[in-house]
Amino acid sequence: MITVPDEVDAHRVRIGCDVQDIEHVQDSLAAFGDRYLRKIFTASEINDCQGRNQVHRLAARFAAKEAVIKAFAQPTMPFPWREIEVTRDGPLPRLRLSGTLAQRAQHQGWLSSSLSLSHAECHAMAVVVVACSPAESE
Amino acid sequence: MQDQIRTVLAAHGRMAVDPREVDDQADLYDLGLTSHASVDVMLALEDAFDIEFPDEVLKKSTFASVRNIEQVVEGLVESAA
Repeated sequence: MITVPDEVDAHRVRIGCDVQDIEHVQDSLAAFGDRYLRKIFTASEINDCQGRNQVHRLAARFAAKEAVIKAFAQPTMPFPWREIEVTRDGPLPRLRLSGTLAQRAQHQGWLSSSLSLSHAECHAMAVVVVACSPAESE
Repeated sequence: MQDQIRTVLAAHGRMAVDPREVDDQADLYDLGLTSHASVDVMLALEDAFDIEFPDEVLKKSTFASVRNIEQVVEGLVESAA
């Protein structure tokens, strides 16, 4: 029997995933409107999600934020959603952290991340993989 | 205050059980509360108590039980007074 190490080429790896119900996001948007948007999403994310499939895109981004929270693996810590931002500067979604979460990522030794988003008619999902420095500290 | 919190949970929590009938220390996540539903609960609590949840209380444990929610809301109501 072996304990499989959570390292790749000596780099520790963190992973997070999440799935969101599109209808729930639609309902929140209908019930709370801009307050819901501004509490969870950055101005840039709100802008990126405009147009067709707005709700699906928002749901995928909410899933991404939850996936990142899981990657931190610190359930007792505060997680301001807007400090986790999904950007679309190029063809692939990217992760941008700010404020206290950027500091905590640095403390955990986050070096790079890869983010994948997807959605169907009813659900959206996200997976994030983070490579950390070998000398990660908690 | 707990009655108002339970009413909000019943309206927005999407839980598998009636939150008006659960123990005030029961784990709401075990009873079906999701992270996304907790956002709706938070926004509805802000409306109900005329408060705003600051970043430092945006953590999983805040919404883990009726008692936890009550303690956080009590603190926010007092600081807003």
